[in-house]
Amino acid sequence: MDRIVICRCEEVDLEEIEQTLINYQCSMREIKLRTRAGMGYCGGRTCRPALNAILEKVSGEKQPHQIPLKVQPPVRPVSLGRIGETNYE
Amino acid sequence: MNSHRILDHPVLGKLTIEKEIPFTFDGKKYTGYEGDTIASALLAQGIRTLRVHEESGSPRGIYCNIGHCFECRVTVDGTPGIRACLTELNPDMIIESGKQQFSPFKSTENQDDLPRTYAEFEKQLKGEKEDEPDV
Repeated sequence: MDRIVICRCEEVDLEEIEQTLINYQCSMREIKLRTRAGMGYCGGRTCRPALNAILEKVSGEKQPHQIPLKVQPPVRPVSLGRIGETNYE
Repeated sequence: MNSHRILDHPVLGKLTIEKEIPFTFDGKKYTGYEGDTIASALLAQGIRTLRVHEESGSPRGIYCNIGHCFECRVTVDGTPGIRACLTELNPDMIIESGKQQFSPFKSTENQDDLPRTYAEFEKQLKGEKEDEPDV
C-alpha cells in the first residue's frame, strides 16, 4: 500500500498513527504528543477531523471519555511582532 | 512561457490578459499576469514545488488553495510564511521557496542506549547498571 500522509505539516502517515494507537491504546491527544500529528504549522486544522476518524475506526466506537483535540488561539500563525503591536514588519 | 494556462474556458470564456507582472522565484525571473496569485503565476510556469518539508525535504505545493493548510508558504521580500495561494502578485516581488533545514538533534542510531534523564546519564557515567526508565 502506498504511504498515506495524514498530517502534512509534520509528515505523519496513517500507518504510524494506527500503530501508535494499537500499541498504546491511547487518546487522540496522546497520539498528538507521541507522533506530532496535528502539531504543525497549520495548527492541526487540516488533519484534526482525519485524526478523530482514525481513532474511531481503530477503537471501533465513539470515545466518550477521550480528551479531544482542542483548538486554542492563535488559530493562525502570527509573528511575535504582531502580537506585541510593534511596527516591526 | 505561460503554457499551462487555460486560454479558452468553456464556462468562463476567453482569458483576457490585462498586464504582465515580472517577478523572481528562487533567483529566476518569470512573468505573471495582473490578478494572479503567486501560486497561480508559478503554476502557469509549470512550477508546482513551492517548498520542501523542513525536515525530510519532500516536495510541497498547492494543497487546499484557500489559505487553510499553509502548505504553499513561501518567503516574499524577506518575509517568511506568506501563503502563495492567497497573496496577489506584485511587480518585482522576490519570492524564495522553503528549504530543508538541519535537524542536528534527531538521533536515530543507538537511540535506545542514550540516557533519557540526567539521573540516567550520571548512572551511565559511573558505569552502574541502568534501571528501566520510567515512562
